[in-house]
Amino acid sequence: MDVMSQLQRQWLEHSAFLRKEGYLDDQFEQLRKLQDESSPDFVVEVVSIFFDDSEKLLNNMARALEQKVVDFKQVDAHVHQFKGSSASIGAMRVKNVCIEFRNYCEAQNLEECLRCAQKLQFEYSVLKTQLEYLFRLEQQIRAAGG
Amino acid sequence: MASDTDYDSDGMRGNGDGGLSEGNGRRRKHPFMTWRNNLRALVVDNARTCRIMESGLLDAYGVEVEAVGTGEAAVELIASGETFDLIVLEMFLPFMSGPETARTIREMGISCKILGIAPMYCEKDAQEFLAAGIDEFLEKPFTPELFIPFLMEIDNQK
Repeated sequence: MDVMSQLQRQWLEHSAFLRKEGYLDDQFEQLRKLQDESSPDFVVEVVSIFFDDSEKLLNNMARALEQKVVDFKQVDAHVHQFKGSSASIGAMRVKNVCIEFRNYCEAQNLEECLRCAQKLQFEYSVLKTQLEYLFRLEQQIRAAGG
Repeated sequence: MASDTDYDSDGMRGNGDGGLSEGNGRRRKHPFMTWRNNLRALVVDNARTCRIMESGLLDAYGVEVEAVGTGEAAVELIASGETFDLIVLEMFLPFMSGPETARTIREMGISCKILGIAPMYCEKDAQEFLAAGIDEFLEKPFTPELFIPFLMEIDNQK
């Protein structure tokens, strides 16, 4: 198998893996469809913005949860926004943790909020790693003439 | 419950994202759908990722899009004489909230379709937003399945 075919196969397998394992849902396909010859890097650019905004939100959540008196409404506001952006690009696992997290914010359950914050950080980190790998494959395919 | 973390609530007309299409004059060459009429939409969302997706999807489906990050910017745009067939309006905007924005737009005599949108569905939020003047309350993500029926209705009525 030549290099190009190998890379393309790896890309297909990794895309399928991300869907099957629930990292990404149909909304990611909607995002992919928006990429065309006039915006050839659209997906990478949108996801980069998502990464930037996500990291700010995660930091803000962490800071809010560290306060002596936790403002659960503030934590909830950050989680709420994160749910919106993760849903908008199809980041399903991240979105689902946000939904769970909001319930604990409403209940003002600090222990569970801290657990959810950790879980959210974990799911986000894994998603980022997986997507960066996918984008590297795409770069390699393009470099190989694909 | 607007977050006080300012993720691009600059009110600028989508110029902060280095070339990503947020509408604002850029049209896709081969949209997925075409309409009998020229349809124009205004997207009002302070969350960058969401705003880009909402604008990008509408653009892909043949709608001319303007996108802003604050309610104030939306009101200013409409006050300047810009007209829209559809407004997509996030509920939890900073400063001027979604409901306040909707109320202001209606008080200006604007009767176009307004779709309120929020990260999660909540009955209380929906009631508040509908009372402020939106026509429908939607939960993100903003998908073609959600907005195409409204575009068809608007196109048929024009």
